[in-house]
Amino acid sequence: MTEHGGPSDAEVVARVLGGDVEAFGIIIRRYEPGLSRFAARMLGDRDAAADAVAEGLVRAYRHLAGCREPERLRTWLYRIVANRCKSHLARRSLADVALDDAPPIADGADTEARYERTEQLALLEGALARLPDEKREAFVLKHVEGLSYEEMSAVTGERIPTLKMRVHRAREALLAALKERV
Amino acid sequence: MMDPRVQQVLDGELPVTALPPELADEVARLEGAAALLAVAPAADARLEARVMAAIRRRAPGPVLRVLQWLSAPRSVTLRFRPVWSLAVVAVFAAVALFPADEPGPVLAADEGVAQFVARFPGARSVDVAGSFNDWRAGEVHLRDDDHDGVWRAAVVLPAGEHEYMFIVDGERWVADPLAGRYVADGFGRENSLIFVRPLAP
Amino acid sequence: MKSALVLALVGLPLAAQQGARGRIEGRVPAPAVAPVDSIIRVAAAAGLPTEPLVQKALEGGAKKVDAARIVAAVADQAGELAAARALLRRTAPEQPISPAELIAVTNALVRGLAPERVEQIATALPGEPTGPAVHAVADMVGHGFDEDSSVALIVAAARSGVRGLRLLDVATAAVQEVQRGLTRDSALAKVNGELPNVPLPPQPPRATVARARRPAHALPPVVARGRDDRSQ
Repeated sequence: MTEHGGPSDAEVVARVLGGDVEAFGIIIRRYEPGLSRFAARMLGDRDAAADAVAEGLVRAYRHLAGCREPERLRTWLYRIVANRCKSHLARRSLADVALDDAPPIADGADTEARYERTEQLALLEGALARLPDEKREAFVLKHVEGLSYEEMSAVTGERIPTLKMRVHRAREALLAALKERV
Repeated sequence: MMDPRVQQVLDGELPVTALPPELADEVARLEGAAALLAVAPAADARLEARVMAAIRRRAPGPVLRVLQWLSAPRSVTLRFRPVWSLAVVAVFAAVALFPADEPGPVLAADEGVAQFVARFPGARSVDVAGSFNDWRAGEVHLRDDDHDGVWRAAVVLPAGEHEYMFIVDGERWVADPLAGRYVADGFGRENSLIFVRPLAP
Repeated sequence: MKSALVLALVGLPLAAQQGARGRIEGRVPAPAVAPVDSIIRVAAAAGLPTEPLVQKALEGGAKKVDAARIVAAVADQAGELAAARALLRRTAPEQPISPAELIAVTNALVRGLAPERVEQIATALPGEPTGPAVHAVADMVGHGFDEDSSVALIVAAARSGVRGLRLLDVATAAVQEVQRGLTRDSALAKVNGELPNVPLPPQPPRATVARARRPAHALPPVVARGRDDRSQ
């Protein structure tokens, strides 16, 4: 069950709960990249995303005993970080471009391709930022984080048909944005 | 309105071969977009250190450990909620989220933090200069630690209105594309305007 | 002209006379120093804030602009400050004008706000600093709202108790409603209907604040205070 090698999530959780605090580092290293990417896409700002993920992970540690199904640790962590993102979003608004706006988080490819990809990324991130929070969340969980609708339901607490509808609307909006740029 | 078959393909309910070429193109574009968005940002090494510092400050003592062991999911007969001890952890964790070696600046009541962010792929350096530092180029540097072309700086400034511009590679003066407010600089270009507010307590 | 200048110099605080020249020397082309210094002295004698003029000269020097253009830009800036002050005095003769407010109104006019709109705002808000209000209106106009509706919303916000830079948040709220899909009329009605409640501006993330540093050559404290003394 360990696609990443090493001890299973349930084993690591048991070790942490047994008093091995340092074992929590395994969980961080295993899931931080995905959680950070998810938070960055939700918040459009890397610093805010780092805050949300750090807060979420500390919270996860504190409430680790309440993680009923350690084998589903991943969705449980996404749920906590998703809630931290919602709190951050409630405190601010995405459309304020003056200070806090998200510059695109570009990839490491180089030369012209890099510029083209960065431009495309900027376009996509702009379109993503304009989506209502719940549609952005659904799209990112589905297509960026690769969760199944069942897992998304566990993360968000929403019903699968609702999530499907949100993903569909988000796809339409993003496709429209892509088509606008010829 | 998108053709429902495109949604079905993307939801894995229909093979892409069932689509006419123009709809298959829509699927490809959306999958390409998702792949682009899925490129992970560079790992933040400080994040693990930050979280572990917060956690180690309050490593559970023997009592809490026993309670946690008792309340762990594998114990199906006992559901014990050590609410009081978790509350204690919560207070300390909140304080410790920023390790003591990174205290940050102490701000005066009439100071705030301005965030400067700009995308200059391929730039060797990006500075910001403005009415807040006598327009000295080469003093406030933006950083692009992960070399993704996005440059950032956080600067403590007096609350109020400031004009500024970015200086790319030490010579090219560029208005901030994200500023949203611009004012003619009298030299044929436009400065960006920023309003800094006192940081809320 | 010469006698006017002499008279002006007599009435000028010594510190202001010496400070400006010292700050621009070595940072602007040498031929610009004396003319810029003269403009600054005259402006100071006329009671105009000199900091924007010093800044304009330093900006020109940093941008490697030639001496003649620097002198012209400083002179223009002095003229714009004087015009803005005349406008404010015409509308509200009794009201003191802080440097921060004058700079704000000057910049709003340079941003393209019509002088009549500044008058309209100053008249509608007697006793209030107009700086944040005029920028808020300029923000809205810059996002496609018509001038009348923009002035009406910002004046309504100020009358409902929204003050200082929070007026910018009113403009931002209206712009965001449009970005979320409302028509401009609906956005105006919605934001107006919720006054004096306006969404708070975003706070910088704590990680960012922890990283923030002061520039080595921050504004002198007096100037920093002057900039903010009426804006909150």
